[in-house]
Amino acid sequence: MSPLVAITGNGAAAEAMRQIDPDVVAAFPITPSTQIMEDFAKFHADGKVTTELVTVESEHSAMSACVGAAAAGGRVMTATSSCGLALMWEMLYVAASMRQPVVMTLVSRALSGPINIHCDHADAMGCRDTGWIQIFAETNQEAYDNLIMAPRIAEHPDVRLPVMVCMDGFIISHCIETMRLEDDAKVRDFLGEFTPVHPLLDTAHPVSWGGLDLQDYYIEHKRGQHEAIMNAKAVIRGVSREFADAFGRLYDLFEGYRLDGAERVLVAINSVCGEIKEVVDELRDAGEKVGLLKIRVFRPFPYDEIREALRMARIVTVLDRMDSFGAYGPLFTEIRTALYDLEPRAIVAGRTYGLGGRDLFMDDIRGLFEESGRCLEKGNIESVSGYLGARGE
Amino acid sequence: MKDFKTLKPWRELPAGGVILDAGNSVHYETGTWRTRRPVWNADHCTHCLTCWVFCPEGSFELCDRPSPGSRTRKAIRAIDYFHCKGCGLCVKECPVNKKGAKQALVMQAEEK
Repeated sequence: MSPLVAITGNGAAAEAMRQIDPDVVAAFPITPSTQIMEDFAKFHADGKVTTELVTVESEHSAMSACVGAAAAGGRVMTATSSCGLALMWEMLYVAASMRQPVVMTLVSRALSGPINIHCDHADAMGCRDTGWIQIFAETNQEAYDNLIMAPRIAEHPDVRLPVMVCMDGFIISHCIETMRLEDDAKVRDFLGEFTPVHPLLDTAHPVSWGGLDLQDYYIEHKRGQHEAIMNAKAVIRGVSREFADAFGRLYDLFEGYRLDGAERVLVAINSVCGEIKEVVDELRDAGEKVGLLKIRVFRPFPYDEIREALRMARIVTVLDRMDSFGAYGPLFTEIRTALYDLEPRAIVAGRTYGLGGRDLFMDDIRGLFEESGRCLEKGNIESVSGYLGARGE
Repeated sequence: MKDFKTLKPWRELPAGGVILDAGNSVHYETGTWRTRRPVWNADHCTHCLTCWVFCPEGSFELCDRPSPGSRTRKAIRAIDYFHCKGCGLCVKECPVNKKGAKQALVMQAEEK
C-alpha cells in the first residue's frame, strides 16, 4: 500500500509533475497556484527531474512555450490561475487546435474585478469553449490522481488534445489533506513512453505546424477537433479504469453520490461537494430521498450518462460557482439541456454561489434541499435561477 | 474560386493542420492578392540581386550568366507572378531606381 501523506493540493500537483517528469515545463507564478511552480522549481534545482524549466515573463509566453515545446515533440506541463489563464486565452485555442497534448493544472480563482484572489470557477468556465479537456477535482487526492491520468488522456491517439486539471484555489490548493502518494516507478510505469506525432525535432521528416487555414480547410480541421474531444469520453473512462487497476481508486465521468432513489438532487463541481455529501448523509439518515451528482469531466460534457443518472430525479438544483452575466450559469445550462429529452423530466433550478471565495455552509446546503422539498410539494419552482448567499438577495 | 467539394474530407486531413509536405507553399497561388505589379526592365538592370534579397516571396527567378574571367554568376531572369503579392519592396530597394536616372523596376496597375 502506498504511503498516506499530509500535503496541500498544490504540493500534490507538484509531486505529480515530479513523477511525470515532463520534457518541458513553462510557467509564470500566480496566486493561488504559485506553490506548484515553487515546489517544482525546487525539484528541478535538486536534480529530481530532467525537465527543461522555462521561466517566462508572462502566461501568454508560458502557453506559447508549451505549444512550441509540444510541437517539437515534448511531454509538456504548466500551471496557472485566474488572470494568468485569461492571459493565455489566445494560446489555449492554439494548443487545442494544433492538437498538442499539453497538461495544465488550473487552480481556480475569481477573475477580476474588483480584484480578488479567492476561489470561484470564472476562470475554468470562461475557457470551456477553447477545446481543452476539463477534469475537475474535489480533493487533493483527486487533483493528484487526475494529473497522473492527464498525460495518458491527452496523448491518446484518438484524442491528442490538451487537458486542464482543475482544483479549487485555497480551499484545496492551500489546505493540507491526507492522501495516497503513489510510488514513483509505478506512476512512470502507468504513464508509459510518450511517442509524439509529427514532432518538429524529427528533422528527417520536416513538417510545418501552425499554417494559415482559410475557407477551404478550416472547418474540416475544426470537425476533426470536435471528433477528438468527443472521443475523449471513452478514453477518459478507459484510462480511469486502468488507473483503478493500478492504484485502486476508480473514477468515472461524474460521481453519483447516493443517487439511488434520489428525488431531490444537487449538481455541483469541486470542493463544495465534500460538504454536500455530509448534508446528503444527514438527510438520508432522516429518511429524505436526496443525492448529489458531482461533475468530474466538464469538457467533453457527458450529456447521455447524466441524463440516465438523473432519470428518476424529480427536482435538480444546479450550483454554478460563476456568473455567466446575462445568461444562465454554464453548469445549469448543460444539466437542463441533458434532461430536456426526458419525459417526464425533473424541475431544474440554478443557483450562483461562492463567488470570490464566499463560503457555502452546511446550513446553506440544508436550505437548498428544504427549498427543493417545498418546490416538490407545490409542484413549481420558486425561481429558475438566482444568487445564493448574496446580502439582500 | 476553388470548388471545395473536390478537396479532401475532414477524416483524411492530418490532425491539427500540420503540413507534411515540405515546401508545398509553392503550390499556393498568392499572385491573386496583388493590386499593383512590379515590372522588370532588363535593359536597365545591373543584376545586383538586391530585389532578390528583399523579396519576401522569393518571386525573382534567377539564371546563370557568364561573367568576365570565365566564371558564371547569378542574374535576374523574370518575376514569378504566381507568387508575387505586389508589395513593391523590390521597386523601393532597387539601387538603379535610387540613382534616379533610369528605372529597372516600376510598379504598374494590375491588368483587370
